Amino acid sequence: MASQESARSLLDLLQHPGIWRGRSVALCDTLSTGFPALDEALPGGGWPRAGLVEILTPRFGLGELRLLVPALARLTALTPARWLAWVAPPHEPYAPALAAAGIQLERQLVVRTETALWAMEQALASGACEAVLCWPRRAQLRSIRRLQLATERGRTLGFLFRELTSARESSPAGLRLQFEPLPGGARLGFIKSRGGARGSLELRWDAAS
Amino acid sequence: MTHPRKHAACWVQADLLAPLLLPPPQQQQPAAALLQPVPLAAEPPPRAAQAELWCALHLPQLCLDAVLGSEPALRAEPGWPVGVLDPEAGLPRLVAVNAAARAQGAQVGMSLAAALAACPQLQARTRDTRQERLRLIALAEAALAFTPRVSLEPPDELLLELQGSLRLFGGLEALAEQVRRSALQLGLTARLAFAPTPRAALVGARGARGFCVRHEAQLVGQLAPLPIAVLRWPEAACARLQSMGVRTLGELLRLPRAGLAQRFGPGLLRMLDQITGRMREPRRAFVPPVRFRGRCEPHYELSSHAALLRHLEPLLADLEGFLRRRQCTVMALRLHLRHRAPHPPTPFELRLAAPEFEASRFAALLAEHFARLLLPAPVRRIELRSGELLPIAAADKPGADKAHAVLSAGSGSLWRAGEQGGTAGRETPALLERLRARLGHDAVHGLCLLADPRPEAGWCVAEPALGGERQAKGEAVPAGRAVEPGRHLRRPLWLLRAPQHLGALPTGWRLLDGPERIETGWWDGHEVARDYYLLRDAAGAELWAFRDRQPPHHWFLHGVFG
Repeated sequence: MASQESARSLLDLLQHPGIWRGRSVALCDTLSTGFPALDEALPGGGWPRAGLVEILTPRFGLGELRLLVPALARLTALTPARWLAWVAPPHEPYAPALAAAGIQLERQLVVRTETALWAMEQALASGACEAVLCWPRRAQLRSIRRLQLATERGRTLGFLFRELTSARESSPAGLRLQFEPLPGGARLGFIKSRGGARGSLELRWDAAS
Repeated sequence: MTHPRKHAACWVQADLLAPLLLPPPQQQQPAAALLQPVPLAAEPPPRAAQAELWCALHLPQLCLDAVLGSEPALRAEPGWPVGVLDPEAGLPRLVAVNAAARAQGAQVGMSLAAALAACPQLQARTRDTRQERLRLIALAEAALAFTPRVSLEPPDELLLELQGSLRLFGGLEALAEQVRRSALQLGLTARLAFAPTPRAALVGARGARGFCVRHEAQLVGQLAPLPIAVLRWPEAACARLQSMGVRTLGELLRLPRAGLAQRFGPGLLRMLDQITGRMREPRRAFVPPVRFRGRCEPHYELSSHAALLRHLEPLLADLEGFLRRRQCTVMALRLHLRHRAPHPPTPFELRLAAPEFEASRFAALLAEHFARLLLPAPVRRIELRSGELLPIAAADKPGADKAHAVLSAGSGSLWRAGEQGGTAGRETPALLERLRARLGHDAVHGLCLLADPRPEAGWCVAEPALGGERQAKGEAVPAGRAVEPGRHLRRPLWLLRAPQHLGALPTGWRLLDGPERIETGWWDGHEVARDYYLLRDAAGAELWAFRDRQPPHHWFLHGVFG
């Protein structure tokens, strides 16, 4: 009992922002993903407010967007109003579904382009977007590095959707997740997560808060 | 036509202050009779005589300045000898040369062959009278900052009435310096003269450097030594005066009036009376143009985007000045790029997402647009026109930061977008414009709901307007009809651009939910009769597909839950 008490007080103490431990990242501004289990596994307790997140899927449309919907709904409710940009989406973002999910349509910006990475970098660095979602055909290490820098410059959250085959390549993105669909949910593998959990995590869509 | 009061902030103040600071101007002028003895210069004349002070700006090398204004490269290299040819005369002759050409022996009046013999490197250009007129109008616009009473005296002179502005601008010396500097900023060399009558100021500017007469009583004495050529009378009249032995204005003014009127006509006598102030000369006030127009016609053809931009820069700087003086912004710019004869001119329109006035922003956007622009032939002439002018107060309702930036000519917001206290107001249109400049106008859009039960008609693209009023590109949604989508209905996050034909249901797909029947659209000919199902394919993706109710009852994939 006493040891439990002391462990808790130790944990409280370690929450102090002045204490930095090797496996944790410096306290960064984050946004809840809407899935408590995922929040717990991510460094800082959610998606970073400024940073690049790579989501690797076998193919697009398996449910990776549903993973983001609670966070996107929260982002579009923030003030001051900033865009949520969709760069080179594979299909049409369907407005009635977005509205039903609580995402504000007035803040959506859809960009159709072949030069997706250029457009994403512009959107990230401009500071006019809250988050940028991008589906590039191909992405080279150097251009991803540029995107990562642009997120820091514009204080923007960037989501880069890539094919699973690029999991073996290294990437400067701060967070890389491997997405695998399951009936009624998904399995997330943490390929890279600075100071976050390792291994994988199973999520259920109905667990969203 | 708008009243100039709107356009020049400076003189409004002058106008307001004038009744407070200055003695009321006397309306009735005692005409300075010629026969009255001219008082000694040292003796101060009565105050009542100084009701008006006209400043004449004579542009002795306007044709040269206009040519250099069209060619930034020549302007940047003052060491190059440049001469301007007038094609109007039978044999093209030089009408102006710059200092370098003069130093090498080229002179005004020489034929081209003679000038080239004296100065082989001479850059000869043809005179452009339209450009000269535009430069004069640009100078008149700039002069509106000093006084509301500006009057053109084509081809190369400008008159300003400055009595009311003297106190505000810190006296005659300081004001003259500011006027001269504003002319220099436009690339124009001006010679200034001051006199109580407009005509005398013109004559003085043509005839002498530093001509300055503050009081009407001193006017005749100061004008006397000027040659009669400064009157710009017809050549025949000048020749006759020469033959009569009349060489200076003083000698001319001493001639008897009746005889002068008889020999030279009443018009010329009237001009003399206007010079001396015996007769008032009403001046037509300069009315600034409502829209900006500028053109640039370089001597050579422009075949690269970089060259095009370089030649546009002075035009854009003029445009910025034009907009600043009016406290206005524009939403669109129109460019006409003219080519050699068989090719029609290329029209080009720059549309902006938000009102703008800064030359550097226009230049950056045009650079992006030019990178995509394919021209049929090299450009011979650039014409720039502004779209409709928007007053800043009306144009900038959402974010007042731009209006502030214009008024103070300072930088924008101290905060970055999204930071505390910062607004996304300025960055947002910048991003839109940059994306549209590279990708095309329609490649960037927003989303909007429509009240239509058919899935593909339930939304439309809209003009992006962050937090503002939006307009759907297609059918606008009336406020009352805007739909709240049914939250109970599951709709996919992705919709395929067109339903994808599947034929029979592919094997391995499992039905999760359905059917949801949508049978509607009878009113506009696009009637649909479908049963929608929620399916999961072999890979685990949740899909939205329908089975057509019409035979042959094929399956179509319409959405992905993503």
